[in-house]
Amino acid sequence: MIKVDSLTHDYGHGRGVFDVSFEVSGGETLGFLGPNGAGKSTTMRHLMGFSKPQKGSLSISGLDCTGKSSEIMKTVGYLPGEVALPEGLSGRQFIKMMQDMRGIKNEKRTSELLERFELDPSGSVKRMSIGEKRKLAVVTAFMSDPDILLLDEPTSGLDPLMQEVFIDFIREEKGRGKTILLSSHIFAEVEALCDRIAIIKEGRLVSTVDAADIRHGLHNIMTVGFENQKDFNEFGKAGLDFKLRDRKTLKCSVIVDDEDINKFISAVKKFRLKSFDEHSVTLEEYFMHFYKKEKSFGGVSYA
Amino acid sequence: MLSLPLLKQSIKSNSVMWGSMTGVMTLLCVQFSMLDMTRSMLFTIFYGMMTTILPGIYVLVTSNKLLASQVDRGSMAYVLATPTKRTTVTFTQAFYLVNSLIAMFGILTLAHLACNAAKPITLGELGFMGLQGDLTSKMIMQVNLSALMVCIALAAVCFMFSGIFSSTKYSIGLSGTFIGVSILANMLAMFGNLGVEGLDKFKYLTVCTFYDYNSVLTGGNEWITKMIFPAAIALVAFGLGELVFKKKDLPL
Repeated sequence: MIKVDSLTHDYGHGRGVFDVSFEVSGGETLGFLGPNGAGKSTTMRHLMGFSKPQKGSLSISGLDCTGKSSEIMKTVGYLPGEVALPEGLSGRQFIKMMQDMRGIKNEKRTSELLERFELDPSGSVKRMSIGEKRKLAVVTAFMSDPDILLLDEPTSGLDPLMQEVFIDFIREEKGRGKTILLSSHIFAEVEALCDRIAIIKEGRLVSTVDAADIRHGLHNIMTVGFENQKDFNEFGKAGLDFKLRDRKTLKCSVIVDDEDINKFISAVKKFRLKSFDEHSVTLEEYFMHFYKKEKSFGGVSYA
Repeated sequence: MLSLPLLKQSIKSNSVMWGSMTGVMTLLCVQFSMLDMTRSMLFTIFYGMMTTILPGIYVLVTSNKLLASQVDRGSMAYVLATPTKRTTVTFTQAFYLVNSLIAMFGILTLAHLACNAAKPITLGELGFMGLQGDLTSKMIMQVNLSALMVCIALAAVCFMFSGIFSSTKYSIGLSGTFIGVSILANMLAMFGNLGVEGLDKFKYLTVCTFYDYNSVLTGGNEWITKMIFPAAIALVAFGLGELVFKKKDLPL
């Protein structure tokens, strides 16, 4: 449904997107995770046809995003990352304008959405809080019931209760077979909603992972402490994937993948332990691993 | 080509500026044509300056708001997130701009026609000593048409900058310079016409030169041929603005 093929757009000073490729198939939800300025919104803008790629191509439902964007928009709902609504309109007028521009006659879904997000659109847009503006943008993005959703940091500006309402709502939309590309820097929402997660760093896609793997835990990190130097040295010969061995505290940290768990346990059984810690790598840690300069991974340093 | 909902929004969001400029211009016209103290200066001051200065301010502010400011603020994203082509957006906005000027001059013309019917004035009293007869309704309409055409050209150039630049800073900056130079040069050229030597050369610096009420009042046809130039400028400028806006990357 959504296809990005080696998208490159260099804005200079290391900003931009470089050779980004991914696909979102029909009915799938792809999370697009990355910190501010990583290129999430830039990619979205290219999908919306606001910017043209310097290299590469983008398409939605087989239509090229640079030339056919008005055609594409018939089936796409877009929630911009920034809420900048047109000037001088009341919320109601803005909704009316967007309904007219999309040719929506049916009020039912709009009023359902207004109720669901507890939004009173009667006031002037100018006087609305960021959260209210965001809700207004949410309502207008979804009121035409589009099949494809491009959501750029959709929950920023919403209070925690509304974030929950929103996440529930997206989950339902997902259940109705919508194709969703959701960019975010909030791990919890990506973890809760997405089938797959693409991680972007400094304009480059660094990893694409299945959300199921992440929920289970990508790696387990076992930290074992020994009573004496001899055991500590002996354990070091066990042929495990050591990531840290500290001679002072006599602690070893081992990254243990699921298939190595028995090997690890039989190695550990031979010794008297002083302490034992087990730690699963969460999405947050996995994500941080790609971002932190010191490359710390789940509390274990990689040197 | 034309998006009615967008047109409605443009009318709404620009109504205050349009209303106040139309109101001020019409009131000034009524004052100049009705009060004995100012009647003689109806053409030199009102038609000579006000009919380019006031619409000039209007088109400067409005054309920036129609494209560049919406791109700069980001609200254009909502418009383009609907099945609306960029060319539809520019066409609709240009359509609004031109028609708002037509409406502005339409109201002004009607007001002046009413005043002139209530209190006619001879061309002699208006400072055109050699001319016989009254200021006719036909002349009023022709003068306004000539002024309107020049204002459309001013609007088109501002609109072009608004389409080319994605930042209000540049759009307003260049449009402002253009409008400012056009109006100032027009005023200096007018002093040239009134006898200050050398200043008449300023007429080559401004589109407003193609607005020629002298030709209308003396019954000449020059004002009609002079309308071709602002019309051509308007076509080229609107075309360029639309083209660049269609092709460029929008920082939304």
